[in-house]
Amino acid sequence: MDASEAREHLELVERIIAQSAQRLHVGAEFFLVWGLFGATCDGLFTAAESGSISTGVTLVAYAVLLLAAVAFSVLRARYYRECGERMSLLQREYLNVLWLTIALATVATFTTFNIFSSVVARGSLWSFAEAIVLFYVGMHGNRRAQIGGIVILASLIAANFVPFPGAGWILAAGVLLGYAGFGAAELIARE
Amino acid sequence: MNELLLSKIRLGIIAELLSSDWIAFSALQRALETTNGNLGAHLSKLLDAGYVAEEKTFVDRRPQSRYRLTNAGRDAFSAHVRDLQELLGASGAKE
Repeated sequence: MDASEAREHLELVERIIAQSAQRLHVGAEFFLVWGLFGATCDGLFTAAESGSISTGVTLVAYAVLLLAAVAFSVLRARYYRECGERMSLLQREYLNVLWLTIALATVATFTTFNIFSSVVARGSLWSFAEAIVLFYVGMHGNRRAQIGGIVILASLIAANFVPFPGAGWILAAGVLLGYAGFGAAELIARE
Repeated sequence: MNELLLSKIRLGIIAELLSSDWIAFSALQRALETTNGNLGAHLSKLLDAGYVAEEKTFVDRRPQSRYRLTNAGRDAFSAHVRDLQELLGASGAKE
C-alpha cells in the first residue's frame, strides 16, 4: 500500500464516522410527538388559566395526551428494538437523554407544583428539559438540533418579558417550532 | 499492516460498525453501496477473523442478520488506522 491509498482509506473512515455521528437514524418521531404534546399542553393550560376553557377539560385532555405520547413511545421503541435496521451508540445516548429529561420533567410537574406553581413556570420546566436534549444532539454536529435548541431558548427569554397569557403562547410556539419542528425536519431529511 | 483491512469494503464495514451498537445486513449494504454477494463475502471473512459478531433474528417472519463489532475487531481497527497514519507520516517525512 502506498501513501495515497493510505490517505484514501483514512478519509473513507473519517467520512463514515463523521456521517454516523451526526445522523439521527431513528427516533425523530419521538421529538415530533413529545414536541406536539408539550406545545399542546402549554396551549391548553394557558387557555384554561385565562378562562377560555374549563380546568376539568384541560386536565382530562392532558391525561389523555400524556398516555397517548407514552403509549406511542413504548410501542415505537419496541418496534425499533425488534425491527430496526441499525442502532448507533450515539443514537442510544440521544434516546437516553431524551427519556431522562422527559421523566424528570414529568416527575417535577407532579411533585414540585408548589415551586413551579404557575402555568408559565411549568411550561418553562419542559422547555428547559427539551432544550437540553436538543443541545446534546446539537453538540455532536446536528445543525437542526442546534437551531431547535436556540429557538426554545429564545422563546424562554422572550416569555420572560411578556405578561401572561402571552408568555404561555410564546412557550408553546417555541416548543412547537424548536422541538416538534426538529423532529419533523429530521423525518423529512431521512426520506 | 493488517491484510484483512486493506479492502475498502471491509474497512468500511468496520468503520460503520465502530460507532454502532448493531447494524442489519440491509443497512450495511445501503451504506456501503455494494451488492448482496459482495457484502456477504467480505462479512464472512470478518466473521471468520472474529472481528465481527453475527446475530440472526426474525422481522415480520423474515430472517434478519445483525452485526456487531467485537473487541478484537475494535483493536484490529485501531492498530490498522495507526499503521496507516504511520505510513502517511513516513511518506511525508521522505518528501
